[in-house]
Amino acid sequence: MSSVDYTQELSVVEGKQALRELDDLIAKPLETKPDKKFYIALSITLSMLSLLVIGLGLTFYYGIGMWGNNNPVGWAFDIVNFVFWVGIGHAGTLISAILFLFRQKWRTGIARFAEGMTIFAVMTAGLFPLIHVGRPWLAGYLFPYPNQHSLWVNFTSPLLWDVFAVSTYFIVSLIFWYVGLIPDLATLREKTNHKLKKIIYSIFSLGWRFSNRHWQNYEMVYLILAGFATPLVLSVHTIVSFDFAVSIIPGWHTTIFPPYFVAGAVFSGFAMVQNVLVIVRKIFNYEHIITIDTLEKMNKIMLLTGSLVGYAYAMEFFIAWYSGVEAELFAFLNRALGPYAWAYWIMIICNVVSPQLFWSKKIRRTIPVMFVIAIFVNIGMWFERFVIIVTSLSRDFLPSSWAYYTPTLVDGMILIGSFGFFFTWILLFTKALPVVSMAEVKAVVDGAQPSHKDN
Amino acid sequence: MSSSSVEYQKKELPAKVQTVGFGLFIAGLFLVVLGYIVDPTRSAYNNIIGFTFLASIAVGSLFLVGIEYLSGAVWSTPFRRVSEFLSSLIVLLPVLFIPLLLNVNNIFHWTHPAPSDKTLIGKAPYLNVNFFIGRVLVFWLIWLLFYYLFTKNSLMQDQTKDQNLTKKNVKLAAVFMPLFAITISFAAIDWLMSIEPHWFSTIFGVYYFSGTVLAALAAATIIIVLLNERGYFVKGIHTDSYYSLGALLFAFTNFWAYIAFSQFLLIWYANLPEETFWFLQRWEGSWIAASIGLIVVRFVVPYFGLLSQPSKMNPKRLLVMSSWILFAHYYDLYWLVMPNFSKGGVALGWIELGFPLLIAGLIILVFVYNSRKNNLVPIGDPKLKRGIDFRL
Repeated sequence: MSSVDYTQELSVVEGKQALRELDDLIAKPLETKPDKKFYIALSITLSMLSLLVIGLGLTFYYGIGMWGNNNPVGWAFDIVNFVFWVGIGHAGTLISAILFLFRQKWRTGIARFAEGMTIFAVMTAGLFPLIHVGRPWLAGYLFPYPNQHSLWVNFTSPLLWDVFAVSTYFIVSLIFWYVGLIPDLATLREKTNHKLKKIIYSIFSLGWRFSNRHWQNYEMVYLILAGFATPLVLSVHTIVSFDFAVSIIPGWHTTIFPPYFVAGAVFSGFAMVQNVLVIVRKIFNYEHIITIDTLEKMNKIMLLTGSLVGYAYAMEFFIAWYSGVEAELFAFLNRALGPYAWAYWIMIICNVVSPQLFWSKKIRRTIPVMFVIAIFVNIGMWFERFVIIVTSLSRDFLPSSWAYYTPTLVDGMILIGSFGFFFTWILLFTKALPVVSMAEVKAVVDGAQPSHKDN
Repeated sequence: MSSSSVEYQKKELPAKVQTVGFGLFIAGLFLVVLGYIVDPTRSAYNNIIGFTFLASIAVGSLFLVGIEYLSGAVWSTPFRRVSEFLSSLIVLLPVLFIPLLLNVNNIFHWTHPAPSDKTLIGKAPYLNVNFFIGRVLVFWLIWLLFYYLFTKNSLMQDQTKDQNLTKKNVKLAAVFMPLFAITISFAAIDWLMSIEPHWFSTIFGVYYFSGTVLAALAAATIIIVLLNERGYFVKGIHTDSYYSLGALLFAFTNFWAYIAFSQFLLIWYANLPEETFWFLQRWEGSWIAASIGLIVVRFVVPYFGLLSQPSKMNPKRLLVMSSWILFAHYYDLYWLVMPNFSKGGVALGWIELGFPLLIAGLIILVFVYNSRKNNLVPIGDPKLKRGIDFRL
């Protein structure tokens, strides 16, 4: 392991497994009955999910007065959670689209799972604007359509751009995910003896027959979708950042927000994918498909994006001073030294300091350590949004209206419940669909790629 | 195991190239000197455009070398020397910086703030001449050091074919990247943003970075395509290897547009006078046309020129587009700098011609000098064979 031979391409998948064995291994969770561990995990996530149901029930019954939001702090946990979950949803399409365009073969082992997580994370995120509007049954008016009330949306509001950006992103991610699934569904259709499963797989594999022409069209569609998805991934968090940055609240209005939010989203998304995959590869025996090398590369991306986020924090601070605008400087000093300093320093330690440990190759390749660092990153990224949103609002332009925000029990229930919602979907996904792309992994096994020269 | 059986025959560049380079250099030098005699202030503004342009190519090329090592890319290995040669321009950066320093009072009015200007006086701990020079010196020494180390290891590998040298450069690249990010950002703030010292934008460092990478990529692409089509590299390089050059030019064109648009939209939307005045300066008189032109020149043309897949591999298209992008980077810097000199309308005359000619000549001469001394292909690089065999 110590010295790398640069003349050879590194293998993506360890060992030379027969293609049939790979199919069997990946399809195994779908062909076997769930074991006890699965039910234990599911009961935990469902319990968490029930907290969401209770929290939302209380909110709908009594109104959003159940939350800790107060007069200057009109946005709090709801928007923090929204931005957090949209951020988590960034890794999937980044891995499947951007890394595809960069021809990074190591993405194949993790792409499917990450895409699935994208979809579930965006679904989780979508809950929050719905409940935040207070009257979710009126949310349909967010879509601009001619209606009898002559109600029309405000096209100049970034909140509306969010509706378009997130829903477009969701649809394209779903299509991208589904297109990638088609060859695998056909494989499953061939493998299964179960009648009902066979019918379902047959319908959803759209008559795939593994013919050369199918593959050719498939690859072209995949490339084009990757091309479409790439600007979409970047646009989603860009527009989320516009929600804040177009305003004139000090600490929100800063021009670096768009790329900084995108970097942060990729950062937290990778951390979440790494956390979940570390468990999945162990339980399903995918250690040779999702290799330590792959995890190491993910950790490198976390080091990169974590440092980019650190760069943005520092640049914001410097420009706040450099600008000579009193309100700007106050907003940043207040973050670091004010009543929410505890949240700020949690953010700095988790987001900027902890990923720096990934400079060490040993740490990048040690599973327990990288797992803990990724958890830290997720905590830190949640706090980043909390710091941005709450500290700026709680100390706004009028000192007479300043107030400290404290979340309520219902806020906490909804936050924990959102994790329950997300992980319930993840668990169901692992038993319903192949979490690794069979077709793509088979294409990157050693010797699968025809070489134009004899070796 | 070792498959380093690459046949490389060193070919000298025709003498004509050097003559052209020398001619451009002398013509440029003449105009620059004349310009400094006739109108020193205007020449100094042009000097900063020329200097930041040259710095883009020099430091951007070093970034490209570093990123190849760090990402383990192979498609670019046969061409890496081109960027290595271009990064040697770092050594010459003081040549364009010293005349700037002599005119520092003409360009940067933070050097002598009005006593009533509390904002500028507040910035004095950062914006003062001594610290400014100190920073430039630190940036330059960092770049020089990494230029020296990267090329030393790379050239040594031509003889020793030692894989450890690649590993050394990978480690160097990891150390270089954060330093590069910091130095290029503060260089952008110092050299470009502080010309209008009241204005501020947190994204400005990223803005200059995006243009820097584009300029370095475009300069490398021009040379790579010109030389490869005439067989100066090794046999067996397929046009597939061009694809990544085209794709990266396309990607960074979009990246620049994204950054530029983000900066504009957020300032326009928030409509705070301490920020909008900078764009309003670029919206006066004939600057309107220049501002709209920037969108067309820097984004629309290269976007459509490189959108389709075949165009990213077509040598002619690449040559035209990368020359265009290089021009667009100069245009962009002109748009950033000149509204501070000529308020109310575009200033364009023979003085503006001096620095582009001088720099074009300088780049050609430096490249010829390097290619005479060293191999154009890193023949000892372990990734070279894979790079030549690269197919999409």
